[in-house]
Amino acid sequence: MKILLVDDDPINRTILQRLLGKEGHPVITASNGVEGVERFIEHQPDMVLMDIRMPKMNGYEAAMEIKRLSRGRFTPIIFLTAVTDEEGLVQCIEAGGDDFLTKPFNRPILQAKISAMERISRLHATLREQKEELEQHQERVHQELEIGNHLFAHIVKVGNLLDAPCLNHWTSPMSLFNGDLLVASYNPVGGLNILLGDFTGHGLSAAVGAMPVSDIFYEMTAQGFSIGDMVEAMNAKLLAIMPTRMFLAACLIEVDPRQKSLNIWNGGLPDVLITDDSCRIIHRVPSSHLPLGVTHLTREDRKVEILEMCPDFRVFLYSDGVTEATNTDGAMFGNDRLESHFSGGQAPESLFSSILDDLQKFRGNARQTDDISLLEIVCAQAGEEARGVEARRQRASIAPSPWEASFTFSAHTLKSVDPLPTILNMVMTLQAPAGHRERLYTILAELFSNALDHGLLRLDTRTKKTPEGFIRYYAQREERLASLEKGSIRIQLSHTPLPCAPDGPQAPGGEIRILMEDSGPGFDITNIHSHLVGNTGHGGRGIALMRSLCKELTYQGCGNRAIAVYQWTQ
Amino acid sequence: MSGTINVTRNDNETVINVKGRFNFEMHSQFRAAYQSDAGDENQGRRFVIDLSGTEYIDSSALGMLLLLREEAGANESDIEIINTRPEIRKILETANFQRLFKIA
Repeated sequence: MKILLVDDDPINRTILQRLLGKEGHPVITASNGVEGVERFIEHQPDMVLMDIRMPKMNGYEAAMEIKRLSRGRFTPIIFLTAVTDEEGLVQCIEAGGDDFLTKPFNRPILQAKISAMERISRLHATLREQKEELEQHQERVHQELEIGNHLFAHIVKVGNLLDAPCLNHWTSPMSLFNGDLLVASYNPVGGLNILLGDFTGHGLSAAVGAMPVSDIFYEMTAQGFSIGDMVEAMNAKLLAIMPTRMFLAACLIEVDPRQKSLNIWNGGLPDVLITDDSCRIIHRVPSSHLPLGVTHLTREDRKVEILEMCPDFRVFLYSDGVTEATNTDGAMFGNDRLESHFSGGQAPESLFSSILDDLQKFRGNARQTDDISLLEIVCAQAGEEARGVEARRQRASIAPSPWEASFTFSAHTLKSVDPLPTILNMVMTLQAPAGHRERLYTILAELFSNALDHGLLRLDTRTKKTPEGFIRYYAQREERLASLEKGSIRIQLSHTPLPCAPDGPQAPGGEIRILMEDSGPGFDITNIHSHLVGNTGHGGRGIALMRSLCKELTYQGCGNRAIAVYQWTQ
Repeated sequence: MSGTINVTRNDNETVINVKGRFNFEMHSQFRAAYQSDAGDENQGRRFVIDLSGTEYIDSSALGMLLLLREEAGANESDIEIINTRPEIRKILETANFQRLFKIA
């Protein structure tokens, strides 16, 4: 140990220097406080032996200065003192001294004190290293979290329509990352898809799973897949990538203003609550599935609850962070308190804010222990588009050119897949008539559901006229589809470019002719008008809608073959 | 703040008793409680999770149950969750865990 010895008495200096030298310690000497501080700065010794009474600057002052200079590093100071009075010793310690040695010097005691200080020094050094390491580690973790948070926020936010006029939402993550995932996006037919998910755990580990889920959500929503299809895709992805102990409790909702329906899939989230103008709970959709990412899905697991949507409906969706929020006494907000808001007699439009206010009031300053999300869907505004909605993906469009494609789907295929998204994507990839995707999808979807529901499954639209009938209609549809053995649907698509203008380099657009034919018995062709009228009622206003979209719409054969012509321009 | 775990075992049964809060802090303890009994050589062994003293259960705890189910031999294993209080039972049933475990 390099030792600085500060003493104005040359005899003392000589004795000590000799003693310390014998122990193998290099010694630097100074004869007063000022010199001592200078030597300290110059040589950075590991320990200081300090006399008290000295000219220029006394030992107390020099010790304080040295402690100030060695901040962050431990430099033990041992006072050399003749005083034995308590006050003097207290002053040594107050000045920053770590120990004292009384004159005359005794070799074994000097040795013992120096080795004790050495031990403390080593301990300090180790502690300092560990502290620095921890600080670096913390800094690294923090930076990585920030990057992760940025990525997460951007991936989840891409095309997120949480500002859609029909949505009110509130989320409060407990850590930098949100373990709750809330995304919304329009499908090609103007329906709004919403996903609320609650991952096991919080923070980064939860957010990592959110990325593939939101990707699948946006991608499949844009392509027009049903929420049942999405459930299957997300489950498969999460099973493949997540550790066993992680899963996603989730609820997917499709708000379909065209069919006036609410399609809900709930796997592991609290009951979805639906109110009307009475502000009482008139429907609830409890979790009837396992969360996503737990096990392989059965056919039953794809099953979606379908409800008829009335304009005064409000749908409330929340994560368990709401009911499990605790106050400063550790009590939980609870289901009863939440549902007490739905006791009627309140203005429906203030329900959402009154629940939030009550929750905030309840929590007070209590520490948040889980992510909290609450979402309201105002069905009256379900048809209104969010501002600034543009097609998310732009593909390079190729010059309109002639092509033709035809598909035939057997009963077996129709039972297990919805072929429309794939067909639509094929059309978009081939021709990419930007801005026409939604209309094309609507036409295809209407023709296809007519062919399947009415042609093959023989369902009667008039059933949908009452709310009970509405539910019965979809129950019947599911039942009949599951037991469908025979029959097929043929789809033929042909595209012709529009004639070029005399000076134009390429066609200004094209015409897509869609033929949809089912193998069902059809209906009385002379009665086609009444069929169309029947179709404009409670259920689909499908055919009227299509007439407004298509250049031509005709029925042939025994009413089982529909031909629609759609014209698009760039 | 978190709970404690007691294990009792006999020839063909491991009983894991979770007291207090069954949350993410219990991960190592819970895993240690069953791991020595969950190998291939212990096929057919019965696991009983006694939640009579459990005050609270979070989604991480549900994840631990899934892990036990996997490490104890997935569908073939015999795992029973007993003495569930109504609040805890509701959490298990919201996640539809009755499809994966016997819950009493």
